[in-house]
Amino acid sequence: MSTDHRVHDIGGTEGWGEVPYDPNEPVFHDDWERRVLGLLFQVLPHTAKRPGEFRHALERLASEDYFCADGYYGRWRAGMEVLLHEYGHVDKAELDNRLGVPHGTSAGYRSANVAAVNPKSLPPDRNTPLPERRTVRRELDEPPQFQIGDRVVAAGNDESGHTRLPEYVRGVAGTVVKIHPAEVLPDSTAHNLGDRPQHVLCVAYQAKDLWGEDAEEDVVVNVDLYESYVELKEGVS
Amino acid sequence: MSQEVGHHHGSDPNSPEIRTEALEDLLAEKGLIDRARVDALIERFEHDLGPMIGARLVAKSWLEPEFRKKLLDNADQVLQDEQIQGAEIEHVEIKANEPGIHNVVVCTLCSCYPWALLGLPPSWYKSPEYRSRVVREPRKVLAEMGLSLDSDTEIRVWDSSSETRFLVLPERPSGTEELDLEALAQLVTRDSMIGVAEVKAQ
Repeated sequence: MSTDHRVHDIGGTEGWGEVPYDPNEPVFHDDWERRVLGLLFQVLPHTAKRPGEFRHALERLASEDYFCADGYYGRWRAGMEVLLHEYGHVDKAELDNRLGVPHGTSAGYRSANVAAVNPKSLPPDRNTPLPERRTVRRELDEPPQFQIGDRVVAAGNDESGHTRLPEYVRGVAGTVVKIHPAEVLPDSTAHNLGDRPQHVLCVAYQAKDLWGEDAEEDVVVNVDLYESYVELKEGVS
Repeated sequence: MSQEVGHHHGSDPNSPEIRTEALEDLLAEKGLIDRARVDALIERFEHDLGPMIGARLVAKSWLEPEFRKKLLDNADQVLQDEQIQGAEIEHVEIKANEPGIHNVVVCTLCSCYPWALLGLPPSWYKSPEYRSRVVREPRKVLAEMGLSLDSDTEIRVWDSSSETRFLVLPERPSGTEELDLEALAQLVTRDSMIGVAEVKAQ
């Protein structure tokens, strides 16, 4: 499995230990975690406003920042540092200056740039009525291309743009079990290439198809996939 | 106000406290944030949001079969009727546990979670251990977390890879026949609605 280029795409990867489970965990462990949450909601309107854009900022972090010792809120702070630098609000050197440390500590020194996505690799845009409120939902005139029960496969790609197709389902056949409301395509919106709304399919995968004969018995993994990700599996009705 | 963070005496510039404080100061000086609004948002997330919102839906569906049916068929309509609004619940699907079927929710690509029904997600839900393993070996992961399922119980994992958010409707424990809505809702834990625990009568 190629995980080098997508630090966040870890579903099914091996070598991880026990889940750090605490049933009585508090909402925040430290006050700085509260501040990061509160700050993020005011930083995003100045930076990542499009669907998928903030997620992609996190995905572009260096592995040491994505899996940083400060946990999830540390990752959010690193994502903010990257976006604030890229949008020209807080240069990556500025935070170091403020902290009185040599330049280079900010996540912006290590993060990958936004990849150039070729619009031709995306499905065509469609005209849909713009909703009255901010939402990822769109009303599509076209019916879904797939039906419940169809066997489908997602090929995926090896580009480094944003996508919501997990690596672990690539090339594996699954069955459409439900069709969710249509949404804008994050692979496009994260890169400022338009809404390109898609029907969203819930696709059920048998664990044995994903993981082989060693898979646990009686396990089904359901994954939501934008319609443009998949094709009908040939040779199966 | 939370100005006390400005009086931290820690000196390690790489500590999360110092770093976050420096970032907040820079943002405030540049007029990009309003500290009072930061405080208000934290207050809302910490105190007004939480699993009690989801727990009420679960308890009500245990008591009212018609409500349960509506919740499973069209949760969005129910949330609208109940005037439940907020972040990360634009489209919600409820997955009911029943004898022989157990549901569990994850987001392998990030940490998507129905905030307006459950509050902020716990750290373990966002951990790489949970995100990577629960799709590959859910039975083992759940057992490690204290939930041992019968070997013939089918496990349905829901990976939140689109903007649809999932909530598990756990089974009502026996011995709760006398309880009313409020008492039942008190029993319903956050973790039972993610699918890593069962609801216990006590």
